[in-house]
Order: sequence, then structure tokens, then C-alpha cells
Amino acid sequence: MSNNVIIRFSHATIAYQRRTALTDINLEIFQGEFVGIIGPNGSGKTTMLKSILGLIRPTHGSVQIFDCACHKLRCRHKAKIGYIPQKGQIDPNFPVTVMETVMMGRYSSIGLFRRPSNDDRELVKHALREVEMDGYTDAPLGHLSGGQQQRVLIARALVQQPEVLLMDEPTTGIDTPTQHSIIRLISNLQKNLKLTVLLVTHDINMISPYVDRMALINTQLHAIGAPADVLNEKTLTAIYGKQVVVTTKGGGTYVIVGDYHYV
Amino acid sequence: MFEMLSFEFIQRALIASVIIGLVCSIIGVFVILRNLTFIGAGTSHAAFAGVTLGYLINYNPLSFAIVFSLLTVWIVGYLNRKGYLKLDASVGIFYSLTMALAVLFIGLMKVYNAEVYGYLFGSILSVTKGDLAIILILGLAVLSLVYLFFKEFHFITFDEEMAQASGIAAGWLSFLLLTMIALTIVISLKSVGAILVFALIVTPAAAAYQLTFSMIRMFLYSAVIGITASVGGVFLSYWLDLPSGATTVLFVSAMFFLSLIFSPKRGYIS
Repeated sequence: MSNNVIIRFSHATIAYQRRTALTDINLEIFQGEFVGIIGPNGSGKTTMLKSILGLIRPTHGSVQIFDCACHKLRCRHKAKIGYIPQKGQIDPNFPVTVMETVMMGRYSSIGLFRRPSNDDRELVKHALREVEMDGYTDAPLGHLSGGQQQRVLIARALVQQPEVLLMDEPTTGIDTPTQHSIIRLISNLQKNLKLTVLLVTHDINMISPYVDRMALINTQLHAIGAPADVLNEKTLTAIYGKQVVVTTKGGGTYVIVGDYHYV
Repeated sequence: MFEMLSFEFIQRALIASVIIGLVCSIIGVFVILRNLTFIGAGTSHAAFAGVTLGYLINYNPLSFAIVFSLLTVWIVGYLNRKGYLKLDASVGIFYSLTMALAVLFIGLMKVYNAEVYGYLFGSILSVTKGDLAIILILGLAVLSLVYLFFKEFHFITFDEEMAQASGIAAGWLSFLLLTMIALTIVISLKSVGAILVFALIVTPAAAAYQLTFSMIRMFLYSAVIGITASVGGVFLSYWLDLPSGATTVLFVSAMFFLSLIFSPKRGYIS
């Protein structure tokens, strides 16, 4: 991790028509950092990623990446941002193979009116090896398990040779052992490729051992720092509106969010 | 048996069939995979309304067909993109609006015009040299655009948001695709008819969808099915003395049911 700021939110307020999703966010993400973004449903986590991608413009303040306003990014900058959106249900019959899916990550780098070259095909194979999916090149994407599909989508982001990886709930809908293997894979890739990673998740316990910092948001930025500093019962209870217990075991910090029970 | 090939009108019909079969089946892949099937029906009726206006005021009907169909897809696409109305609802409104206009324009005509009804049901054997030139120019334009922007269309068809995030001009390309759908319908209108053109766009691609798990192969299979059906329809229509549009649609529908049976996705036979 370096002291170079890669992403900067400066008093950023982002609204959808009449609903404000994020208010006055001030946040700096440093090069090579692994940051987890947590918060309840509707807290603005996905909006945060979309604003970095330039898909939504702030109504006040600014969001910058590589020192450029995100909504004005050129293709060469966008190619440096790998994005893994929330994985919806992939139609098992949709006609797309693993190779075709990962190759899409090269399209913006290849440019208009040009076809993928042998070098692009090699990059795709390399990315599939990185996520341990090189044996599935011609497999239909819809035939893979949820965890395998997520690995393919990570390979699609990697094949862009990004500097920044934005991930929106990459472990949703996947069984627990596979969730762990996906997060371990992301952590290893982040270290080996020196990536800056922003990962949105609901699973606080899953990511806390791996991230450098956590950002706790609920329309506003409530806390940012090392997991041990951010994960405290008072703050989490206030944000989630439910009783939260924070405990430590084996050097790790774990969060248990209570539920309401009506007797 | 092949003496029919010596007739000039048959030669024109066959060339038109190959181009229309190819263009419709290629565009159809995007229509099927992007869930735009209903837009084909709505746009063909809008194009027919344009044709009727052209006959009413005695001006080139095809140019009005182009204007009406383009306005329809652009307005429907805009309403959908802005989140004002779902695609099927806005297509439904334009479907009935343009059909009402077509009925109105026909009602305002002083005399019965058989040519107008030709555009409703199609007659590929009556394609003129002028029609063929328009089919050729617009067909090549659509195919060239598919070729030039193939990988970008491929990406937005699979995941539009992701494509946009990685720097592809997804919004602009979606409108270009809608424009290409409208032009494809216009060039097929006289040959296949406003009611049946929809089948030539949707059915070959739907059949190809049954046969493969690769998008690239889906284009190939759809093109083969589309051309086979449209050329086969002309031959059957001539030999059996049946309406060409209906014969083509029945032919391609039969191919669709065969693809269902032989689909590796179902495993009934393969």
C-alpha cells in the first residue's frame, strides 16, 4: 500500500431523482489498498461503486479516480478499472462460453472496429489460470456453479489488466466454503498484482481478516479505518438498528447482528 | 424443375430472399437475446402505417415506412432508457397507435388499393428492380454495422451495465441496434409483409438458440436457418402456388420445432 491517492470522494452527494443515496462523502482510497465497504441494504454501497465507474454523477462535490472526474473518464482510464457487478441469475441456456465471457473484458482495450488478437486470447487464458478456471474455456457459462461463474467474472475483470478492482457483493448466493475461497483468491490477486480493491459486502466476518480498512456507510460515511477500529458495538447497533455483538477469537474480530423476535 | 430460375422475377425474389433471410436472422439474434421480440411486432406495424400514409398522399411509401419505424423505436427506446415506461408497455401503445393510423389512412383513401394490402401480407415474387436495390443497400448497411460493432453489440447483449462501465458506449449502441431493427423491418416489409416479418426476425434466432451454447455459433446457425427458410419459401410458394410470405413463415416455424427436438439443451434426441 502506498500513499498515492487513487480514488477521492470530496464532499460528494449523489441522488437518484428525488432520493439521496449518499450525502457529503469524504474518503480517500490509496494505491494497493484492500477496502471493504459495509452497511445495511439501501445504504449507498453500490451507488458508491457506480459513481467511481462514472455511471452516476454527484449532484454536489466530486468523485475522482486517477485524478480525473469519474464521469469524464476516457476509455483508457476505464480500462484500468475492473468491475464485478452484483451477480444476477445467469440463464443456464444463454449462449455464451467462458472464453467469450472473459474476452469481453478486452473489448474496450482492443478499440473500435478491431478484432481480438492472439495476444488477447493469451491474456484470457492467463486470466483463467489466475482464477483456476483454465480447464473450462469452452464450457457454457450458465452450466457452471455460482462460485465458478464468479471466478469467470473475476477473470473478465483481470483480463483488462486493471489497477483498480471494484466488486459488488461477489460472494452473494454462494455456499460458505466457496465464499471463503473466493475472498482468499481476491486477497491473493490483490497482493500479487498490487491491485487497489474496493469490495462491497454484507458479510463483515468474511472480509475482516483480509481487508486493510473498512468503510461503514449508511447514506453517510460513519466510520473508516482498520476492522478492529470500525467494528464496535455502539456504531454498528446505531447503523443496523439491531443489537450487535462484537467479539474476538483467535486474533480475529467477529460481528453478530441480532434479530428482532416477536413473542 | 429449375426452369423457374430463368424467370427474372424469380431471380429477383431469390436474391431478395437471401439478403432478407440473412439480415433478419442476424438481427434476430440480438432481438432474442436482448428480449426485444415485441419491439419487432410494434415496429412492423408502425412501418405499415408509414406505407399507408405514402399511398394516401401519393408519395414514396418506403420513405414514410422508414420515418415511422425509426420514430417508433427511438421514442420507445428513449422512454425505456429514461425509466418512464417499460419497453413492452410503450411498444404496446405504439403498436395500437400506429395500427389505428394505418386504418385511418386506409379509410381516407378514396379507392381500394391492393398494393397496400400487399405490404400487410407480403409478396416476394412482386419485388421490382428498384425494391431490390433498396433491399441490397439497406441490407448491406445493416450487416456492415453488425460487422463493425460486433464485439460491442456482443458485450451489451450479455451485460449492458458492465459494458458501459468498461468504456463501451452502451447507450448509443442500444439506439443504433434499435435503428438497425427498424431498417431490417422496412426492407422486409414488401417481401414478407408487416404481419409476418416479425417471424423471420424471431424464429431463425429462436431456433439457433436451441442448438448452441456459443453466441458466435448462434449467429451462424441463425443465418443458415434464415436463408434456408426464405429461399425454401420462394421455391415452395412457386411450386405449390401458395402465398410466399405464409409459406416462408411456415417453413421457418417447422425448422424451429425441429430445433426444439434436436436441441442439445433438451436432450430428447442428441
